[in-house]
Amino acid sequence: MNPRRSIMSRAGTGIAVAAVLIFTLFPVYWMVSSALDKKASSGGQSLLPQEFTLDNFAFVLTDGGFGTFLRNSAIVALVTVLVSAVVCLLAAVAVARFRFRFRTTILMLILVVQMVPLEALVIPLFLQVKSLGLLNSILGLMVVYVALSLAFGIWMLRGFVAAVPVELEEAAYIDGASWWRMFRSILLPLVMPGLVATSIFSFITAWNEFIFAMTILGSATDQYTVSIGLKSFFGLHSNDWGSIMAASTIITIPVMIFFVIVQRRLSAGMVAGAVKG
Amino acid sequence: MTMVHAPLPAAKTESSSASVAGRPRGLSLAKARPWFLLAPGLFILATLMLWPLVQVFLFSLQDYGLREINTGEQNWIGLENYAKALSDPQLWTVVLPNTVGFAAVAVFATVAVGTLVALLLARLGTVWRTIVSSCIMVAWAMPAVTGTYVWTFIFDADRGVFNQVLQNLGLMDESYNWFTNQWSFYAIVLLNVVHHGFPFVAITVSTIWDFKVFAQVYLMPGGNGGNRSVLNLGVWSYVESFGQNKYGFGAALAVLLTLVLIGITIVYIRSLMKEDEL
Repeated sequence: MNPRRSIMSRAGTGIAVAAVLIFTLFPVYWMVSSALDKKASSGGQSLLPQEFTLDNFAFVLTDGGFGTFLRNSAIVALVTVLVSAVVCLLAAVAVARFRFRFRTTILMLILVVQMVPLEALVIPLFLQVKSLGLLNSILGLMVVYVALSLAFGIWMLRGFVAAVPVELEEAAYIDGASWWRMFRSILLPLVMPGLVATSIFSFITAWNEFIFAMTILGSATDQYTVSIGLKSFFGLHSNDWGSIMAASTIITIPVMIFFVIVQRRLSAGMVAGAVKG
Repeated sequence: MTMVHAPLPAAKTESSSASVAGRPRGLSLAKARPWFLLAPGLFILATLMLWPLVQVFLFSLQDYGLREINTGEQNWIGLENYAKALSDPQLWTVVLPNTVGFAAVAVFATVAVGTLVALLLARLGTVWRTIVSSCIMVAWAMPAVTGTYVWTFIFDADRGVFNQVLQNLGLMDESYNWFTNQWSFYAIVLLNVVHHGFPFVAITVSTIWDFKVFAQVYLMPGGNGGNRSVLNLGVWSYVESFGQNKYGFGAALAVLLTLVLIGITIVYIRSLMKEDEL
Protein backbone atom coordinates (compact mmCIF):
# COMPACT_ATOMS: atom_id res chain seq x y z
CA MET A 1 0.00 0.00 0.00
CA ASN A 2 1.50 3.38 -0.91
CA PRO A 3 1.56 6.13 1.72
CA ARG A 4 -1.14 8.23 0.03
CA ARG A 5 -3.62 5.40 -0.10
CA SER A 6 -2.78 4.55 3.47
CA ILE A 7 -3.64 8.09 4.57
CA MET A 8 -6.84 7.99 2.55
CA SER A 9 -7.89 4.70 4.07
CA ARG A 10 -7.05 5.91 7.57
CA ALA A 11 -9.21 8.97 6.98
CA GLY A 12 -12.00 6.74 5.70
CA THR A 13 -11.76 4.57 8.78
CA GLY A 14 -11.79 7.66 10.99
CA ILE A 15 -14.91 9.02 9.33
CA ALA A 16 -16.63 5.64 9.61
CA VAL A 17 -15.73 5.39 13.31
CA ALA A 18 -17.07 8.90 13.90
CA ALA A 19 -20.31 8.04 12.09
CA VAL A 20 -20.81 4.88 14.15
CA LEU A 21 -20.09 6.71 17.40
CA ILE A 22 -22.51 9.53 16.58
CA PHE A 23 -25.27 7.14 15.51
CA THR A 24 -24.92 4.91 18.57
CA LEU A 25 -24.29 7.58 21.16
CA PHE A 26 -26.36 10.59 20.11
CA PRO A 27 -29.72 9.23 21.33
CA VAL A 28 -28.08 8.20 24.59
CA TYR A 29 -26.37 11.58 24.97
CA TRP A 30 -29.59 13.40 24.17
CA MET A 31 -31.53 11.34 26.70
CA VAL A 32 -29.04 11.99 29.53
CA SER A 33 -28.35 15.63 28.74
CA SER A 34 -32.06 16.45 28.48
CA ALA A 35 -32.66 14.75 31.79
CA LEU A 36 -30.01 16.94 33.42
CA ASP A 37 -31.00 20.21 31.73
CA LYS A 38 -33.65 22.45 33.23
CA LYS A 39 -34.35 23.85 29.76
CA ALA A 40 -35.58 20.49 28.48
CA SER A 41 -38.71 20.81 30.60
CA SER A 42 -39.29 24.52 30.04
CA GLY A 43 -38.29 24.76 26.38
CA GLY A 44 -35.37 26.43 24.59
CA GLN A 45 -32.96 23.55 24.97
CA SER A 46 -29.83 23.52 22.83
CA LEU A 47 -27.29 20.87 21.89
CA LEU A 48 -25.21 21.48 24.98
CA PRO A 49 -26.86 21.39 28.41
CA GLN A 50 -27.39 24.87 29.85
CA GLU A 51 -28.86 24.74 33.34
CA PHE A 52 -27.80 21.71 35.32
CA THR A 53 -30.46 20.15 37.53
CA LEU A 54 -31.21 16.90 39.32
CA ASP A 55 -34.84 17.87 39.93
CA ASN A 56 -36.10 15.64 37.12
CA PHE A 57 -34.52 12.58 38.70
CA ALA A 58 -35.86 13.43 42.13
CA PHE A 59 -39.36 13.92 40.71
CA VAL A 60 -39.27 10.69 38.71
CA LEU A 61 -38.10 8.58 41.64
CA THR A 62 -40.58 9.99 44.15
CA ASP A 63 -43.85 11.20 42.60
CA GLY A 64 -43.14 9.42 39.32
CA GLY A 65 -43.21 6.04 41.06
CA PHE A 66 -40.05 4.72 39.42
CA GLY A 67 -38.71 3.43 42.73
CA THR A 68 -41.55 0.91 42.72
CA PHE A 69 -41.24 0.19 38.99
CA LEU A 70 -37.50 -0.50 39.31
CA ARG A 71 -38.09 -2.83 42.24
CA ASN A 72 -40.84 -4.73 40.40
CA SER A 73 -38.69 -5.08 37.28
CA ALA A 74 -35.73 -6.31 39.33
CA ILE A 75 -37.87 -8.98 41.00
CA VAL A 76 -39.44 -10.10 37.72
CA ALA A 77 -36.08 -10.21 35.93
CA LEU A 78 -34.27 -12.12 38.68
CA VAL A 79 -36.95 -14.78 39.01
CA THR A 80 -37.09 -15.13 35.22
CA VAL A 81 -33.30 -15.50 35.03
CA LEU A 82 -33.11 -18.13 37.78
CA VAL A 83 -35.98 -20.29 36.61
CA SER A 84 -35.11 -20.16 32.94
CA ALA A 85 -31.40 -20.83 33.60
CA VAL A 86 -32.22 -24.12 35.32
CA VAL A 87 -34.84 -25.20 32.79
CA CYS A 88 -32.69 -24.21 29.80
CA LEU A 89 -29.60 -25.99 31.09
CA LEU A 90 -31.44 -29.26 31.65
CA ALA A 91 -33.04 -29.12 28.21
CA ALA A 92 -29.77 -28.09 26.54
CA VAL A 93 -27.96 -31.07 28.06
CA ALA A 94 -30.70 -33.34 26.76
CA VAL A 95 -30.53 -32.12 23.15
CA ALA A 96 -26.75 -31.72 23.02
CA ARG A 97 -25.67 -34.88 24.79
CA PHE A 98 -28.27 -37.50 24.06
CA ARG A 99 -29.47 -39.09 20.86
CA PHE A 100 -33.13 -39.96 21.13
CA ARG A 101 -36.27 -40.15 19.05
CA PHE A 102 -37.85 -36.79 18.15
CA ARG A 103 -34.63 -34.94 19.02
CA THR A 104 -34.55 -33.15 15.66
CA THR A 105 -38.29 -32.52 15.88
CA ILE A 106 -37.80 -30.81 19.24
CA LEU A 107 -34.96 -28.69 17.89
CA MET A 108 -37.07 -27.55 14.95
CA LEU A 109 -39.93 -26.84 17.33
CA ILE A 110 -37.70 -24.60 19.42
CA LEU A 111 -36.69 -22.69 16.29
CA VAL A 112 -40.28 -22.27 15.12
CA VAL A 113 -41.46 -21.09 18.54
CA GLN A 114 -38.81 -18.39 18.35
CA MET A 115 -40.43 -16.95 15.21
CA VAL A 116 -43.93 -16.60 16.59
CA PRO A 117 -44.82 -12.93 17.00
CA LEU A 118 -45.75 -11.88 20.53
CA GLU A 119 -48.90 -10.22 19.18
CA ALA A 120 -50.19 -13.70 18.34
CA LEU A 121 -49.46 -15.06 21.81
CA VAL A 122 -50.77 -12.13 23.78
CA ILE A 123 -54.48 -12.87 23.24
CA PRO A 124 -54.50 -16.52 24.43
CA LEU A 125 -51.91 -15.91 27.15
CA PHE A 126 -53.88 -12.95 28.49
CA LEU A 127 -56.92 -15.23 28.79
CA GLN A 128 -54.86 -18.02 30.38
CA VAL A 129 -53.33 -15.67 32.93
CA LYS A 130 -56.79 -14.26 33.57
CA SER A 131 -58.27 -17.72 34.19
CA LEU A 132 -55.40 -18.48 36.59
CA GLY A 133 -56.34 -15.35 38.52
CA LEU A 134 -52.89 -13.86 37.95
CA LEU A 135 -53.99 -10.76 36.08
CA ASN A 136 -52.72 -7.44 37.50
CA SER A 137 -49.78 -9.13 39.19
CA ILE A 138 -46.10 -9.55 38.38
CA LEU A 139 -46.46 -13.26 39.13
CA GLY A 140 -48.43 -13.73 35.91
CA LEU A 141 -45.76 -11.77 34.07
CA MET A 142 -42.93 -13.97 35.40
CA VAL A 143 -44.64 -17.11 34.10
CA VAL A 144 -44.87 -15.59 30.63
CA TYR A 145 -41.28 -14.29 30.64
CA VAL A 146 -39.84 -17.68 31.56
CA ALA A 147 -41.67 -19.11 28.54
CA LEU A 148 -40.46 -16.28 26.28
CA SER A 149 -36.80 -16.72 27.23
CA LEU A 150 -36.73 -20.53 27.01
CA ALA A 151 -36.42 -21.18 23.29
CA PHE A 152 -33.50 -18.82 22.77
CA GLY A 153 -31.81 -19.97 25.98
CA ILE A 154 -31.99 -23.65 25.09
CA TRP A 155 -30.72 -22.92 21.59
CA MET A 156 -27.77 -20.94 22.88
CA LEU A 157 -26.76 -23.25 25.73
CA ARG A 158 -26.97 -26.27 23.47
CA GLY A 159 -23.86 -25.01 21.68
CA PHE A 160 -21.96 -24.64 24.93
CA VAL A 161 -22.83 -28.11 26.15
CA ALA A 162 -21.92 -29.64 22.79
CA ALA A 163 -18.53 -27.88 22.95
CA VAL A 164 -17.52 -29.67 26.16
CA PRO A 165 -15.38 -32.65 25.10
CA VAL A 166 -17.13 -35.95 25.69
CA GLU A 167 -13.76 -37.40 26.75
CA LEU A 168 -13.93 -35.33 29.93
CA GLU A 169 -17.26 -36.88 30.80
CA GLU A 170 -16.02 -40.36 30.02
CA ALA A 171 -12.97 -39.81 32.20
CA ALA A 172 -15.28 -38.91 35.07
CA TYR A 173 -17.26 -42.11 34.58
CA ILE A 174 -14.06 -44.16 34.50
CA ASP A 175 -13.13 -42.59 37.82
CA GLY A 176 -16.43 -43.91 39.13
CA ALA A 177 -18.47 -40.73 39.14
CA SER A 178 -22.23 -40.91 38.83
CA TRP A 179 -23.99 -38.96 36.08
CA TRP A 180 -25.09 -36.34 38.56
CA ARG A 181 -21.57 -36.05 40.01
CA MET A 182 -20.15 -35.62 36.50
CA PHE A 183 -22.80 -33.00 35.75
CA ARG A 184 -21.88 -30.98 38.84
CA SER A 185 -18.10 -31.19 38.65
CA ILE A 186 -17.39 -31.35 34.91
CA LEU A 187 -20.27 -30.06 32.80
CA LEU A 188 -21.62 -27.26 34.99
CA PRO A 189 -18.31 -25.38 35.49
CA LEU A 190 -17.47 -25.69 31.79
CA VAL A 191 -20.80 -24.33 30.54
CA MET A 192 -20.84 -21.53 33.12
CA PRO A 193 -19.85 -18.84 30.55
CA GLY A 194 -22.79 -19.95 28.43
CA LEU A 195 -25.07 -19.87 31.42
CA VAL A 196 -23.95 -16.32 32.15
CA ALA A 197 -24.59 -15.21 28.57
CA THR A 198 -28.01 -16.90 28.52
CA SER A 199 -28.92 -15.33 31.85
CA ILE A 200 -28.04 -11.89 30.54
CA PHE A 201 -30.34 -12.50 27.60
CA SER A 202 -33.27 -13.55 29.74
CA PHE A 203 -32.62 -10.63 32.06
CA ILE A 204 -32.82 -8.23 29.12
CA THR A 205 -35.96 -9.93 27.80
CA ALA A 206 -37.67 -9.49 31.16
CA TRP A 207 -36.39 -5.95 31.72
CA ASN A 208 -37.35 -4.64 28.28
CA GLU A 209 -40.56 -6.53 27.53
CA PHE A 210 -43.51 -4.29 26.85
CA ILE A 211 -46.61 -5.85 25.26
CA PHE A 212 -47.26 -8.43 27.99
CA ALA A 213 -46.49 -5.97 30.76
CA MET A 214 -49.07 -3.59 29.29
CA THR A 215 -51.68 -6.32 28.82
CA ILE A 216 -51.27 -8.38 31.99
CA LEU A 217 -50.64 -5.61 34.50
CA GLY A 218 -53.60 -3.53 33.31
CA SER A 219 -54.12 -0.60 35.64
CA ALA A 220 -52.39 -2.13 38.68
CA THR A 221 -49.80 0.65 38.88
CA ASP A 222 -48.17 -0.74 42.03
CA GLN A 223 -47.22 -3.84 40.02
CA TYR A 224 -45.86 -1.93 37.00
CA THR A 225 -42.47 -2.80 35.58
CA VAL A 226 -40.21 -0.13 34.10
CA SER A 227 -41.43 -0.40 30.50
CA ILE A 228 -45.14 0.00 31.23
CA GLY A 229 -44.23 2.43 34.03
CA LEU A 230 -42.53 4.65 31.46
CA LYS A 231 -45.55 4.49 29.17
CA SER A 232 -47.90 5.47 31.96
CA PHE A 233 -45.55 8.26 33.07
CA PHE A 234 -45.44 9.54 29.48
CA GLY A 235 -49.22 9.54 29.42
CA LEU A 236 -49.38 11.72 32.53
CA HIS A 237 -46.53 14.13 31.70
CA SER A 238 -46.42 14.08 27.92
CA ASN A 239 -44.88 17.52 27.49
CA ASP A 240 -42.39 17.32 30.33
CA TRP A 241 -39.57 15.92 28.21
CA GLY A 242 -36.96 16.57 30.90
CA SER A 243 -38.72 14.21 33.31
CA ILE A 244 -39.50 11.66 30.61
CA MET A 245 -35.83 11.56 29.65
CA ALA A 246 -34.85 11.30 33.33
CA ALA A 247 -37.18 8.32 33.71
CA SER A 248 -35.74 6.78 30.55
CA THR A 249 -32.21 7.35 31.85
CA ILE A 250 -32.95 5.74 35.19
CA ILE A 251 -34.27 2.55 33.64
CA THR A 252 -31.59 2.37 30.94
CA ILE A 253 -28.29 3.33 32.56
CA PRO A 254 -28.07 0.31 34.94
CA VAL A 255 -28.49 -2.02 31.97
CA MET A 256 -25.93 -0.09 29.92
CA ILE A 257 -23.28 -0.14 32.63
CA PHE A 258 -23.91 -3.83 33.15
CA PHE A 259 -23.58 -4.50 29.41
CA VAL A 260 -20.31 -2.64 29.07
CA ILE A 261 -18.86 -4.48 32.09
CA VAL A 262 -19.83 -7.92 30.83
CA GLN A 263 -19.35 -7.17 27.15
CA ARG A 264 -16.37 -9.42 26.53
CA ARG A 265 -18.00 -12.37 28.22
CA LEU A 266 -21.30 -11.63 26.54
CA SER A 267 -19.99 -11.37 23.00
CA ALA A 268 -17.81 -14.45 23.45
CA GLY A 269 -20.87 -16.24 24.77
CA MET A 270 -23.05 -15.21 21.87
CA VAL A 271 -20.50 -16.18 19.27
CA ALA A 272 -19.68 -19.53 20.87
CA GLY A 273 -23.23 -20.44 21.77
CA ALA A 274 -25.19 -19.23 18.85
CA VAL A 275 -23.01 -19.52 15.79
CA LYS A 276 -20.78 -22.50 16.25
CA GLY A 277 -23.73 -24.68 17.14
CA MET B 1 -35.65 -11.12 20.33
CA THR B 2 -32.96 -11.84 17.86
CA MET B 3 -31.83 -15.16 16.62
CA VAL B 4 -28.90 -16.35 14.63
CA HIS B 5 -28.89 -19.11 12.14
CA ALA B 6 -26.94 -22.14 13.07
CA PRO B 7 -26.76 -25.60 11.60
CA LEU B 8 -28.34 -28.35 13.61
CA PRO B 9 -25.48 -30.14 15.27
CA ALA B 10 -24.98 -33.81 15.10
CA ALA B 11 -24.67 -35.05 18.65
CA LYS B 12 -21.06 -35.98 19.06
CA THR B 13 -21.77 -38.96 21.18
CA GLU B 14 -24.10 -41.86 21.39
CA SER B 15 -24.76 -40.51 24.88
CA SER B 16 -23.18 -41.59 28.08
CA SER B 17 -25.27 -44.71 28.04
CA ALA B 18 -22.17 -46.59 26.87
CA SER B 19 -20.74 -46.44 30.34
CA VAL B 20 -23.76 -47.97 31.96
CA ALA B 21 -24.60 -50.41 29.18
CA GLY B 22 -24.81 -54.00 30.26
CA ARG B 23 -26.97 -53.22 33.24
CA PRO B 24 -30.59 -53.41 32.08
CA ARG B 25 -31.86 -50.90 34.63
CA GLY B 26 -29.06 -48.47 33.84
CA LEU B 27 -29.81 -48.70 30.15
CA SER B 28 -33.48 -47.86 30.49
CA LEU B 29 -32.67 -45.06 32.89
CA ALA B 30 -30.21 -43.68 30.36
CA LYS B 31 -32.90 -43.84 27.70
CA ALA B 32 -35.39 -41.98 29.81
CA ARG B 33 -32.86 -39.44 31.05
CA PRO B 34 -33.11 -36.95 28.15
CA TRP B 35 -36.88 -36.88 28.64
CA PHE B 36 -36.51 -36.16 32.35
CA LEU B 37 -34.15 -33.33 31.48
CA LEU B 38 -36.46 -31.99 28.78
CA ALA B 39 -39.67 -32.34 30.76
CA PRO B 40 -39.81 -28.91 32.46
CA GLY B 41 -38.81 -27.04 29.30
CA LEU B 42 -41.16 -28.95 27.05
CA PHE B 43 -44.00 -28.54 29.51
CA ILE B 44 -43.56 -24.76 29.59
CA LEU B 45 -43.14 -24.46 25.81
CA ALA B 46 -46.16 -26.66 25.19
CA THR B 47 -48.52 -24.90 27.59
CA LEU B 48 -47.35 -21.32 27.11
CA MET B 49 -46.24 -21.24 23.47
CA LEU B 50 -47.72 -24.10 21.45
CA TRP B 51 -51.15 -24.43 23.02
CA PRO B 52 -51.70 -20.66 22.79
CA LEU B 53 -50.84 -20.87 19.09
CA VAL B 54 -53.56 -23.47 18.65
CA GLN B 55 -55.89 -21.36 20.78
CA VAL B 56 -55.33 -18.19 18.78
CA PHE B 57 -56.30 -20.14 15.67
CA LEU B 58 -59.43 -21.50 17.38
CA PHE B 59 -60.39 -17.99 18.58
CA SER B 60 -60.00 -16.73 15.04
CA LEU B 61 -62.85 -19.03 13.96
CA GLN B 62 -65.21 -17.63 16.58
CA ASP B 63 -67.05 -14.46 17.38
CA TYR B 64 -65.08 -14.11 20.60
CA GLY B 65 -65.79 -11.05 22.72
CA LEU B 66 -66.38 -10.05 26.32
CA ARG B 67 -69.62 -12.04 26.52
CA GLU B 68 -67.88 -15.24 25.40
CA ILE B 69 -65.00 -14.66 27.83
CA ASN B 70 -67.36 -14.19 30.76
CA THR B 71 -69.83 -16.95 29.97
CA GLY B 72 -67.46 -19.45 28.38
CA GLU B 73 -69.87 -19.84 25.46
CA GLN B 74 -68.56 -20.66 22.03
CA ASN B 75 -69.84 -18.95 18.95
CA TRP B 76 -68.26 -20.55 15.89
CA ILE B 77 -68.48 -18.51 12.71
CA GLY B 78 -66.07 -20.34 10.43
CA LEU B 79 -63.83 -18.12 8.31
CA GLU B 80 -65.93 -14.99 8.71
CA ASN B 81 -63.19 -13.09 10.59
CA TYR B 82 -60.71 -13.87 7.82
CA ALA B 83 -63.21 -12.84 5.14
CA LYS B 84 -63.75 -9.56 6.98
CA ALA B 85 -60.01 -8.93 7.30
CA LEU B 86 -59.13 -9.89 3.74
CA SER B 87 -61.94 -7.82 2.22
CA ASP B 88 -60.91 -4.71 4.15
CA PRO B 89 -59.19 -2.45 1.60
CA GLN B 90 -57.12 -1.00 4.44
CA LEU B 91 -55.35 -4.37 4.77
CA TRP B 92 -53.99 -4.27 1.22
CA THR B 93 -53.29 -0.56 0.86
CA VAL B 94 -51.89 0.28 4.29
CA VAL B 95 -51.47 -2.56 6.76
CA LEU B 96 -49.63 -5.15 4.69
CA PRO B 97 -47.19 -2.66 3.14
CA ASN B 98 -46.49 -1.30 6.62
CA THR B 99 -45.91 -4.83 7.91
CA VAL B 100 -44.17 -6.68 5.08
CA GLY B 101 -42.41 -3.74 3.44
CA PHE B 102 -41.11 -2.48 6.72
CA ALA B 103 -39.93 -5.92 7.87
CA ALA B 104 -37.98 -6.42 4.65
CA VAL B 105 -36.36 -2.99 4.75
CA ALA B 106 -35.61 -3.16 8.47
CA VAL B 107 -33.95 -6.56 8.30
CA PHE B 108 -31.91 -5.59 5.26
CA ALA B 109 -30.79 -2.32 6.85
CA THR B 110 -29.97 -3.93 10.19
CA VAL B 111 -27.89 -6.68 8.62
CA ALA B 112 -26.17 -4.25 6.24
CA VAL B 113 -25.23 -1.76 8.97
CA GLY B 114 -24.22 -4.54 11.35
CA THR B 115 -22.00 -6.21 8.78
CA LEU B 116 -20.34 -2.93 7.78
CA VAL B 117 -19.63 -2.13 11.42
CA ALA B 118 -18.23 -5.64 11.94
CA LEU B 119 -15.86 -5.06 9.00
CA LEU B 120 -14.90 -1.72 10.50
CA LEU B 121 -14.22 -3.28 13.91
CA ALA B 122 -11.89 -5.80 12.30
CA ARG B 123 -9.75 -2.97 10.86
CA LEU B 124 -9.33 -1.13 14.14
CA GLY B 125 -6.56 -1.44 16.72
CA THR B 126 -7.29 -2.79 20.17
CA VAL B 127 -7.98 0.52 21.85
CA TRP B 128 -10.40 1.85 19.25
CA ARG B 129 -12.05 -1.50 18.86
CA THR B 130 -12.79 -1.54 22.58
CA ILE B 131 -14.14 2.00 22.47
CA VAL B 132 -16.36 1.40 19.46
CA SER B 133 -17.67 -1.94 20.68
CA SER B 134 -18.46 -0.43 24.08
CA CYS B 135 -20.54 2.24 22.34
CA ILE B 136 -22.27 -0.47 20.31
CA MET B 137 -23.09 -2.27 23.55
CA VAL B 138 -24.57 0.96 24.89
CA ALA B 139 -26.88 1.24 21.89
CA TRP B 140 -27.89 -2.37 22.25
CA ALA B 141 -28.68 -1.97 25.94
CA MET B 142 -31.27 0.69 25.25
CA PRO B 143 -34.68 -0.87 25.80
CA ALA B 144 -37.17 -0.59 22.94
CA VAL B 145 -39.58 1.49 25.04
CA THR B 146 -36.88 3.96 26.09
CA GLY B 147 -35.42 4.13 22.62
CA THR B 148 -38.84 4.86 21.16
CA TYR B 149 -39.44 7.79 23.49
CA VAL B 150 -35.95 9.19 22.86
CA TRP B 151 -36.43 9.08 19.07
CA THR B 152 -39.92 10.53 19.50
CA PHE B 153 -38.41 13.40 21.48
CA ILE B 154 -35.65 13.96 18.91
CA PHE B 155 -38.23 14.24 16.11
CA ASP B 156 -40.94 16.00 18.12
CA ALA B 157 -42.64 18.74 16.09
CA ASP B 158 -42.28 21.57 18.61
CA ARG B 159 -39.46 20.58 20.94
CA GLY B 160 -37.49 18.12 18.86
CA VAL B 161 -33.82 18.83 18.18
CA PHE B 162 -34.17 17.60 14.58
CA ASN B 163 -36.65 20.31 13.63
CA GLN B 164 -34.65 22.92 15.55
CA VAL B 165 -31.43 22.08 13.72
CA LEU B 166 -33.19 22.15 10.34
CA GLN B 167 -34.71 25.53 11.17
CA ASN B 168 -31.43 26.97 12.46
CA LEU B 169 -29.72 25.87 9.27
CA GLY B 170 -32.45 27.64 7.31
CA LEU B 171 -33.56 24.43 5.60
CA MET B 172 -37.08 24.66 6.97
CA ASP B 173 -39.37 27.53 7.87
CA GLU B 174 -42.00 25.98 10.06
CA SER B 175 -41.72 22.96 12.29
CA TYR B 176 -43.03 19.85 10.67
CA ASN B 177 -44.81 16.93 12.34
CA TRP B 178 -42.88 13.90 11.11
CA PHE B 179 -45.26 11.43 12.75
CA THR B 180 -48.34 12.09 10.63
CA ASN B 181 -46.80 11.00 7.33
CA GLN B 182 -46.57 7.26 6.75
CA TRP B 183 -43.09 7.41 5.20
CA SER B 184 -41.46 9.69 7.72
CA PHE B 185 -43.13 7.79 10.56
CA TYR B 186 -41.60 4.52 9.39
CA ALA B 187 -38.27 6.18 8.64
CA ILE B 188 -38.09 7.07 12.35
CA VAL B 189 -39.13 3.53 13.31
CA LEU B 190 -36.38 2.28 11.00
CA LEU B 191 -33.75 4.46 12.72
CA ASN B 192 -34.95 3.16 16.08
CA VAL B 193 -34.97 -0.48 15.00
CA VAL B 194 -31.58 -0.36 13.29
CA HIS B 195 -30.02 1.49 16.24
CA HIS B 196 -31.26 -1.22 18.57
CA GLY B 197 -30.71 -4.20 16.25
CA PHE B 198 -27.39 -3.77 14.45
CA PRO B 199 -25.15 -4.38 17.49
CA PHE B 200 -26.12 -8.04 17.61
CA VAL B 201 -25.14 -8.47 13.96
CA ALA B 202 -21.93 -6.48 14.34
CA ILE B 203 -20.73 -8.41 17.37
CA THR B 204 -21.67 -11.93 16.41
CA VAL B 205 -21.02 -11.38 12.67
CA SER B 206 -24.18 -13.30 11.98
CA THR B 207 -27.62 -12.57 10.70
CA ILE B 208 -30.98 -12.08 12.34
CA TRP B 209 -34.47 -13.42 12.16
CA ASP B 210 -36.02 -10.46 13.77
CA PHE B 211 -39.22 -9.06 12.34
CA LYS B 212 -40.76 -8.19 15.66
CA VAL B 213 -41.74 -4.58 15.97
CA PHE B 214 -44.57 -3.62 18.27
CA ALA B 215 -43.55 -1.19 21.00
CA GLN B 216 -41.51 0.82 18.49
CA VAL B 217 -44.69 1.55 16.51
CA TYR B 218 -47.34 1.42 19.22
CA LEU B 219 -45.65 4.01 21.44
CA MET B 220 -44.98 6.61 18.74
CA PRO B 221 -47.50 9.43 18.28
CA GLY B 222 -50.51 7.95 16.46
CA GLY B 223 -48.91 4.52 16.42
CA ASN B 224 -51.49 2.90 18.70
CA GLY B 225 -54.14 2.90 16.00
CA GLY B 226 -54.89 6.63 16.24
CA ASN B 227 -53.30 7.28 12.86
CA ARG B 228 -54.71 4.71 10.45
CA SER B 229 -52.07 5.37 7.79
CA VAL B 230 -49.29 3.94 9.98
CA LEU B 231 -51.21 0.89 11.18
CA ASN B 232 -49.44 -2.48 10.93
CA LEU B 233 -50.82 -5.98 11.43
CA GLY B 234 -49.55 -6.44 14.98
CA VAL B 235 -50.96 -3.15 16.25
CA TRP B 236 -54.23 -3.68 14.38
CA SER B 237 -54.64 -7.11 15.98
CA TYR B 238 -53.87 -5.67 19.40
CA VAL B 239 -56.27 -2.73 19.23
CA GLU B 240 -59.10 -4.87 17.82
CA SER B 241 -58.60 -7.36 20.67
CA PHE B 242 -57.85 -5.22 23.68
CA GLY B 243 -59.32 -1.93 22.53
CA GLN B 244 -62.56 -3.17 20.92
CA ASN B 245 -62.88 -6.52 22.76
CA LYS B 246 -63.12 -8.24 19.37
CA TYR B 247 -60.78 -11.05 20.35
CA GLY B 248 -61.92 -13.31 17.51
CA PHE B 249 -61.20 -10.75 14.81
CA GLY B 250 -57.96 -9.77 16.52
CA ALA B 251 -56.95 -13.43 16.62
CA ALA B 252 -57.58 -13.76 12.88
CA LEU B 253 -55.29 -10.77 12.27
CA ALA B 254 -52.70 -12.32 14.59
CA VAL B 255 -52.83 -15.58 12.62
CA LEU B 256 -52.34 -13.61 9.39
CA LEU B 257 -49.36 -11.85 10.98
CA THR B 258 -47.83 -15.16 12.03
CA LEU B 259 -48.26 -16.59 8.53
CA VAL B 260 -46.78 -13.48 6.93
CA LEU B 261 -43.75 -13.48 9.25
CA ILE B 262 -43.10 -17.19 8.81
CA GLY B 263 -43.42 -16.72 5.05
CA ILE B 264 -40.86 -13.91 5.09
CA THR B 265 -38.60 -16.00 7.32
CA ILE B 266 -38.64 -18.91 4.90
CA VAL B 267 -37.83 -16.69 1.91
CA TYR B 268 -35.13 -14.98 3.94
CA ILE B 269 -33.53 -18.22 5.15
CA ARG B 270 -33.60 -19.68 1.64
CA SER B 271 -31.81 -16.66 0.24
CA LEU B 272 -29.24 -16.58 3.03
CA MET B 273 -28.45 -20.12 3.98
CA LYS B 274 -26.45 -22.50 1.95
CA GLU B 275 -27.94 -25.90 1.30
CA ASP B 276 -25.60 -27.74 3.61
CA GLU B 277 -26.46 -25.50 6.52
CA LEU B 278 -30.01 -26.77 6.53
